[in-house]
Amino acid sequence: MSIRRYLLLGAIGLFAICTTSHRSIAQTASSNAAVIATTQVPRHFNGAVQSGLATAMPSSQIFASPLRYDDNWNPQPYLAQSWDVAPDGLSVTLHLVKNAVFHDGQPVTSEDVAFSIMAIKANHPFQTMLAAVEKVDTPDPSTAVIRLSHPSPSLLLAMSPALMPILPKHVYGDGQDLKAHPANLKPIGSGPFKLTEYKQGEYYTLEKFDKFFMPGRPKLDKIVVRIVSDPNAALVSMERGDVNILPFVAGVRDIDRLQKASNIVVTDKGFAGVGPLNWLAFNTKKKPLDDVRVRQAIAYAANRDFIVGKLMSGKAAPATGPIAPGSPLEEKAVDSYKVDYAKAAELLDAAGYPKGADGSRFGLTIDYIPGADEQQRNVAEYLRSQLKRVGINLEVRAAPDFPTWAQRVSNYDFDLTRDTVFNWGDPVIGVNRTYLSSNIRKGIIWSNTQQYSNPKVDELLQAAAVETSPEKRKALYSEFQKIVVKDVPIYFINATPYYNAFSKGLGGLPTSIWGMMSPLDEVHWETPPKT
Amino acid sequence: MTTLETSTPLTVESSGQPARRAASPGRVAFRQFLRSPSGVCGACLLIVIILGTAIGPVVYPVDPLDLVGGPFTPPSADAWLGTDYLGRDVLAGLIYGGRASLAVGAVAALITIAIGLTVGALAGFFGGAIDAALVKITEFFQILPPLLFAMVLVTLFGQKLTTITLAIGAVSWTSAARLTRAEFMRLRNLDFVKASRAAGAGDAYLMLRVLLPNALPPVIVSATLAIGVAILFEGGLSFLGLGDPNTMSWGLMLGQNRNYVLDAWWAVIFPGTAIFLAVLSISLVGDGVNDAINPRLRRRM
Repeated sequence: MSIRRYLLLGAIGLFAICTTSHRSIAQTASSNAAVIATTQVPRHFNGAVQSGLATAMPSSQIFASPLRYDDNWNPQPYLAQSWDVAPDGLSVTLHLVKNAVFHDGQPVTSEDVAFSIMAIKANHPFQTMLAAVEKVDTPDPSTAVIRLSHPSPSLLLAMSPALMPILPKHVYGDGQDLKAHPANLKPIGSGPFKLTEYKQGEYYTLEKFDKFFMPGRPKLDKIVVRIVSDPNAALVSMERGDVNILPFVAGVRDIDRLQKASNIVVTDKGFAGVGPLNWLAFNTKKKPLDDVRVRQAIAYAANRDFIVGKLMSGKAAPATGPIAPGSPLEEKAVDSYKVDYAKAAELLDAAGYPKGADGSRFGLTIDYIPGADEQQRNVAEYLRSQLKRVGINLEVRAAPDFPTWAQRVSNYDFDLTRDTVFNWGDPVIGVNRTYLSSNIRKGIIWSNTQQYSNPKVDELLQAAAVETSPEKRKALYSEFQKIVVKDVPIYFINATPYYNAFSKGLGGLPTSIWGMMSPLDEVHWETPPKT
Repeated sequence: MTTLETSTPLTVESSGQPARRAASPGRVAFRQFLRSPSGVCGACLLIVIILGTAIGPVVYPVDPLDLVGGPFTPPSADAWLGTDYLGRDVLAGLIYGGRASLAVGAVAALITIAIGLTVGALAGFFGGAIDAALVKITEFFQILPPLLFAMVLVTLFGQKLTTITLAIGAVSWTSAARLTRAEFMRLRNLDFVKASRAAGAGDAYLMLRVLLPNALPPVIVSATLAIGVAILFEGGLSFLGLGDPNTMSWGLMLGQNRNYVLDAWWAVIFPGTAIFLAVLSISLVGDGVNDAINPRLRRRM
């Protein structure tokens, strides 16, 4: 055989390899598998040391957690088949299932639970989440007792898959730094799926874990998560059916397009836990915004109805307070600042800022997070025209990138800013940080950058954090919300319009409060897609 | 350039007709310009555009940043050219945006020529070490990709119309500098310059009164074209999201509305057409001026 023939054979072989590998990716759409497309690139897969949507989605598939939640904020058994909160609220006992094993075959024991909880307390960015935990006792392999320094009603929500992945102690407990642990990229958990392949920044593959402790689950054999940098490309793939699940769609026009597609189901359920809020924040220490009347006047002029109805095309739920719509703790009976220019003018006059000869009172700047024009820039520009009606000249300050914006806001170099902040389930985890005067920390974004300080609010938040009676706790939070809305350190506008899109024919959709950040073990094909 | 190098012998050749010398060079050039149909068309178009942006606000006093109706209102009796994604009037945007775009173009072109003339004249006149240093600096600026460099400048110093104008000027002066330098180097050894020097003219006098007027024609053409390039540049920066959000300009309208082209084509097509017509008219005028002050072409006609 001549060399040329060898080369020819080689070329044919290469071609065959290329086409088969291509087919294997394409096939996933037809067999008992689903393809997810996301623009979010996970740094790694260990949700115990990393917050954010990019890590939480795979981490919730790979790792099981003590509890999971339904779509109505009720805790459900997961690794813990039952749990008791002591009457004094100072300990929580978890009774673990006995048949749970990690992907490497080792059983899940209370040792692993104790190790994981302490690891999360030490490493997770949400420092308030497990602040009350002192230690975890392990009287026997299937019982873990969490000891608390004070009652912590938020602990049950903190045991969700997105926030408390149970790590195998025999893998992660080797003394290496958890934030840079090599197993974060080759994770071993006890969740419904195991990570079999990760091509950095391109895709990762989750395969069914045969010995998953819940019988009959997961229902899918395989999930391929494709990382697509261009949201538009992801959208087109979804429309063509190459992709079966498109999570975290936030563009109003994109949502519209997906809703019109006949082969796609779109839902905004699954974000109550995250509780994303879009708001307008004030620098309450800077003149003239240090006067509550000025802030109230701006709120009266801003016109939430127009922003929600027109700029968000009605795709977003209006938000009137610091706790996101959909949370059982949300207080609806607060002043909604319905648009009222006369009242705004009155307040500004009373605050000592009369209209000048040219019709203007004073000038302010407005910043916004760059990158999401519909949610951020358009609203900032709209507010400029709105505030002009009451004599405030607003100058829109564009930031070239996220760090520039974060730098300005966290160093109090701003007047007004648009912002998007997540509630993360319980107020203790994601709400307190914005309002506690002890969290006025210069240089840290998403701390109390408004520099808002009200002793009554501090007191209410501290009391609510340790209040074990749900009714009393709700009452404390409702008073907190009324005060904050009246003080207007922030004018609340809407819940960020997040949507998940699914191919028609998929059943068992993740519509619980944590949505795509909960185990996808019930997702299955009711009608398999045509090949 | 090549045409100009042959200009000296040509003038000598045609110097046998003293009657032609009676008119001033400016008037001759103007008369010549009127004979170029494309130049005249361009000039007419440009005058219409400038008048529109100058008188427009008097006839149509609508603030381009104000909301006049619902978002995405198609062209109608209330808003002749429709409204954009916030409900701002597109026609008002065109009028006020035209002022900003033309001003950016003109000022940036002035900056371009001012820097280019200074650097080029010094380098071409003195030669030697000064020339070497200035050419190195010019080359340094020339190898930077202009759009990227301008983006960096705007990002660093803020998205303000003045910053954008300065940035455009700062990145586009190199060709004017090279042009001027070449003209000065060619002219400085000609006999009339030597004669002036022998008559006791100083460096400053030679540069400003003797060399500069003779080096100007190609620079004027390049300045005219620079206006069009600067308008396009502003459009490009705005398109990439680096426009000044507080001043309406054609580029800003285009850049902000492009995401909504399927919902409101009118908010994209009209500013796009305006930029196209403005740049086209300026290019035509530039060509006409080139024809008018280019002696070889003049003789051919």
